[in-house]
Amino acid sequence: MQKFSLNRRLVIIIVCVIVSFALMTVSVTIRNKKSTPPLVQQFGNDIVGLVDRVVAIPTNGLSGSVSSVSELLNTYQENQQLKKQVSELAQTKVRDQTLAKENKQLKKEISLNSSLTDYTAVSAAVITRTPSSWQNQVVINKGSSAGVTKNMPVMSGSGLVGRVAEVNKTNSKVELITDNNDTANRFAVSITTKSGKTVNGVLSGYNSTTGQITMDNITTKAKIAKGDKVVTSGLGGVTPKGLYVGQVAKATGSDYGLSTKLYITPATDLSDLNIVTVAVSKQ
Amino acid sequence: MYRLSKLRFGFPVFLFLALFLDGAVSQVFNVQMFRYPTAMVSHLVVLWLVCGAIFEADNGDFPMPLARWAAVAGAVFDLYYTGIFGIYVFIFPLVIYVTRRLVSWINPNFLSGLLIYFIDITLVEGLGYVASRAVHLNNAAGSAFLVNTLGPTLALNLAMFVILYFPIRWVYNWLK
Repeated sequence: MQKFSLNRRLVIIIVCVIVSFALMTVSVTIRNKKSTPPLVQQFGNDIVGLVDRVVAIPTNGLSGSVSSVSELLNTYQENQQLKKQVSELAQTKVRDQTLAKENKQLKKEISLNSSLTDYTAVSAAVITRTPSSWQNQVVINKGSSAGVTKNMPVMSGSGLVGRVAEVNKTNSKVELITDNNDTANRFAVSITTKSGKTVNGVLSGYNSTTGQITMDNITTKAKIAKGDKVVTSGLGGVTPKGLYVGQVAKATGSDYGLSTKLYITPATDLSDLNIVTVAVSKQ
Repeated sequence: MYRLSKLRFGFPVFLFLALFLDGAVSQVFNVQMFRYPTAMVSHLVVLWLVCGAIFEADNGDFPMPLARWAAVAGAVFDLYYTGIFGIYVFIFPLVIYVTRRLVSWINPNFLSGLLIYFIDITLVEGLGYVASRAVHLNNAAGSAFLVNTLGPTLALNLAMFVILYFPIRWVYNWLK
């Protein structure tokens, strides 16, 4: 390197910068337009994913055992609270079964095969997380061989956490809803207000200081109250209807006072993900 | 010398171990490291590479193909972790280049190594910010980047350097 003149070094730097920007632009375009990455990248990612499991599984297991010890400490209190909830849940579950059966019969009667609410759940473990502050992204251990395709919604615990951004054969990347990049595909959601009106809209971003999801440009006159539940509406895409997103925390006027802006408290803790569920819709 | 040593195979093994540990650490200490809006990013792979350049200068008869391996690690980082190719594949070799230049001016030891690592992490995070800003992956302002990302990341990684400098030196000496 020492024998290069300044001129030659400058040329190398400029060429590197140009090539770098070209590669970045191409890969961003591929990420936005294509449903899967190029075959070489897919193959490479599959191999790297397999090797990564050798490192990731022991460390995740270690953290699991540590957290189970700390969880042991407040087991008693939790147990009492959960017992109460279980008795209520059994009731709800039986009713849910009856309703699902009735729903199926009614659908058959009007010869409707599948509606927006139908999906199968594929559960996956989180292998690793992108070590970057710009991309809130995790890698999960299920890919196209398990039926996962791009843009499918991903849930954890009781609520929505993100969408599938890239699919390889045996692993895929999930972009969390905390990711604020410009190219992120936003979820179409709806809110049923206390008076029974339905308000449709699109999630617009994530406010990192308050930890709330925002929803913008709502022009309805319906009164949205704090605590109203936000669910996916199933419109426009592969997201099924009725996935729980969170509760309305605050409704304010937008920056220019023309529309309403909502702040939504997410249903699950978005920073602590171990097992997630991909909602594979039947299409 | 390099061809005959254990380092030839040991170096890439530890390089990929560090690369995967970055992701695993981010996943396990998720709650502590990514406390919004601040984010601490672990850069163990950069630590392994920079230590390689520092210990290489310590005994001059031991040149290693560091830049090549840095590019490989960067390529895997781009494809597997971020999915955007063309960022770290250039930044990691640049870090090796900068470290080698600095090491030729400053006699490397623990304290000056800390200083060099400070510059390297600033370089990695700064260029990473500029690149992701250019392709619209983030919309953070420069001041927000300094306070929320660069500061905590430097704190974490310098602490890691202090803790891991001597163990890594031991590993390099063992591999040699």
